[in-house]
Amino acid sequence: MHRRLSEPALGILGILPALLLIGALILYPVAYAVWLSLLDKHSFFPTERWVGLGNYLAIARDVEFWESLWRGVVYAASTTVLQLGLGVAAALVLHRSFHGRAAVRALVLFPYMIPTIVAVIVWRWLLNETYGLVDDTLLRWRLIREPIVWLGVDHIMSSLVAMSVWQFTPFVIVTVLARLQTIPPELHEAARVDGAGGWARFRHITLPQIRAVLFVVILLRGIWMFTKFDTVWLWGEGAGAGREIKTLPIYAYMRTFTYYQAGFGAALAVIMFLMLMAATAAYFRLFWREESAA
Amino acid sequence: MRTRLLAPILAIILLTCPAAGAADKKAIRLWQTETEPQTLAVLNHMAAEYEKTHPDVSIKIEGLAWGDLEKKLTAALAAGAPPDAAHGQPITCASFAAKGLLRPLDDLADAIGRDNLLDSFRNLCVRDGRFYGVGHSPASSVFVYRKDLLVQKGLKVPRSWDELIQVAEALKEVKDGQVARYGLTMTGQPLFVNIAVGELLKGNGGRLFDAEGRPTLTERPMIELLDFYKKLNRVLPPGWTGHSYLDTFANLATGKAAMLYQAYGRGVGYIEKYAPKDIADPEHFAVADKLVGPSGKTPAAQLDCEPWMVFKDAKGGTEAVDFLKFFFKDDNYIPYLHSVPIHLLPITKSTYKNPRYQDNATIRKWKSWVDMQERYFRNDWIKPVLVIDWDDMKKPYLLEVMGSGILVDMVLDSVKGMSSSDAAAKAQKRVEELLAQTGYLKK
Repeated sequence: MHRRLSEPALGILGILPALLLIGALILYPVAYAVWLSLLDKHSFFPTERWVGLGNYLAIARDVEFWESLWRGVVYAASTTVLQLGLGVAAALVLHRSFHGRAAVRALVLFPYMIPTIVAVIVWRWLLNETYGLVDDTLLRWRLIREPIVWLGVDHIMSSLVAMSVWQFTPFVIVTVLARLQTIPPELHEAARVDGAGGWARFRHITLPQIRAVLFVVILLRGIWMFTKFDTVWLWGEGAGAGREIKTLPIYAYMRTFTYYQAGFGAALAVIMFLMLMAATAAYFRLFWREESAA
Repeated sequence: MRTRLLAPILAIILLTCPAAGAADKKAIRLWQTETEPQTLAVLNHMAAEYEKTHPDVSIKIEGLAWGDLEKKLTAALAAGAPPDAAHGQPITCASFAAKGLLRPLDDLADAIGRDNLLDSFRNLCVRDGRFYGVGHSPASSVFVYRKDLLVQKGLKVPRSWDELIQVAEALKEVKDGQVARYGLTMTGQPLFVNIAVGELLKGNGGRLFDAEGRPTLTERPMIELLDFYKKLNRVLPPGWTGHSYLDTFANLATGKAAMLYQAYGRGVGYIEKYAPKDIADPEHFAVADKLVGPSGKTPAAQLDCEPWMVFKDAKGGTEAVDFLKFFFKDDNYIPYLHSVPIHLLPITKSTYKNPRYQDNATIRKWKSWVDMQERYFRNDWIKPVLVIDWDDMKKPYLLEVMGSGILVDMVLDSVKGMSSSDAAAKAQKRVEELLAQTGYLKK
């Protein structure tokens, strides 16, 4: 009695819930942000004025934007490079067999598991130059003569980078370690028989094997660090020195919620989105070119 | 079959009945900035007492950090989900009232008695003759110094900016090559830098805006203020730009600093808790007049008095006002004030006269601190953040100027080495651009 649905229709019906969710949760907010970026809109006053590309032109002339962009690039690049270097090194160590390895593996995950707010509060307390443990220890060991003001204007960026690397390196460790465990041990054994040293084995066996994972890790960590909000905000919150770590996401938030310029803030978010899209596309292209060359 | 079905249906109905009852209660959300545990306990007790006589209402009181308030209120407003009532800076109240976001509170003012409100703060958030905000409790920022240390070193209490620098330098103590005590502590928290700029500028005879609303940051009093900040930067702890408001109280109470320029009555709690017991008194932690700048004549302090605001679109606006009437009744208001006795002073004359209010050991002990604040109230030397003259309250963009952090950047540019005139000129340009972008100023 009932007419059977055709196969393509059934397929479309099957993916419809997912499409609806993607539309509602991803496409609509992005489209709304783009629309908002073309308006001069107060954050809570219910009036708006069409300004077209006016917000984008204002951003191009805005010194604060360029400063925030530069800080964001410095923060994302330095934290990603350090996470990668330390993460791969730690994964290699944890891949080796030693007594208590299981406990150490569990322990290195700890920074990634604790809530950001807790990590920030603890580190800010440790680094406080008046009563913090770090300066106190350095002074006791006579490694410094004066306390280092980690959260002051001169060092707040470097202390933020250090804290972020501490917090997010476990992600790299776990991901790389998982891949290392799938490399057939015969490859290393054969290379060892052929007389290859540790560095040669790493360069010619391990690195090519983990290359795809590193590609994903660099991409994800780069994007996540560039758009990182919570850690950066909490690190600089409540301090005038916070302006030294005002990255682009923080600036977009401020424009929206403390300057009350929702349109301007949305334009900043759209620019950030386009930058990341462009960087990702370029990165993929580079990777594919190298893959095909290999 | 029918009886087999009936039992579970009845059980479900019975189980859901109390839940339905709870859901019927109208939840009234109030955001406020008094976050000390003992104050929250008083407020929650007050809410519970109110609910006893209003079983259809549920009062939810949330404490927010002072420095976060404006950001969170704005985010909530943008999301279309503001609380029913909230504290706000007086300039926030003025700005929200100008934008038509608030419900008039004439009924609350009438219930308290308009003439019963302290004269200085009656018009804290009045627009076109209507009340849009009623302050929960006024307090003044105060200058605190370690009297014993000044006496030991034969120093006089500073009265001018230059004297403050000299005394701060003289009070600095170095032991074994390390600084054991700084002469002065100040916070670098953006809200408080805004506050300091406002009160120091007023104490130097300056202004932030001219009669047409154009910023006046390049005028002499501001340049002198930025020069003063350069000097302050030399005597303050090196990490002062990262020090929070509470860090500076800790510095003073624990003896890491000898003077605190932006103190508040709340600091008494920290002194009594963290300072050595034998010196935790006003004989050691004394208050003095705020300082006068080279171009100023009278001192100036910051008024800390957030008005209660009720949002126009709040579903529980009427209930929120009713709860606030309950809040201002002496039976409830006095325990609230006594939860932080030297900081939460009454805004009503009748409460001041109430012997139950005066009957408090902390108020008796730290009377000099209360007297100092009242001196500022009486002389009208006290203004809300960024308000130099009461007419500034009519400027609806002070909130944007404060939120932008431009004044904070100006101060930090200056202390990081930029010339005062360049830092002021840069800030002037940025404020002009901000006001032009937001339509408050024609280019």
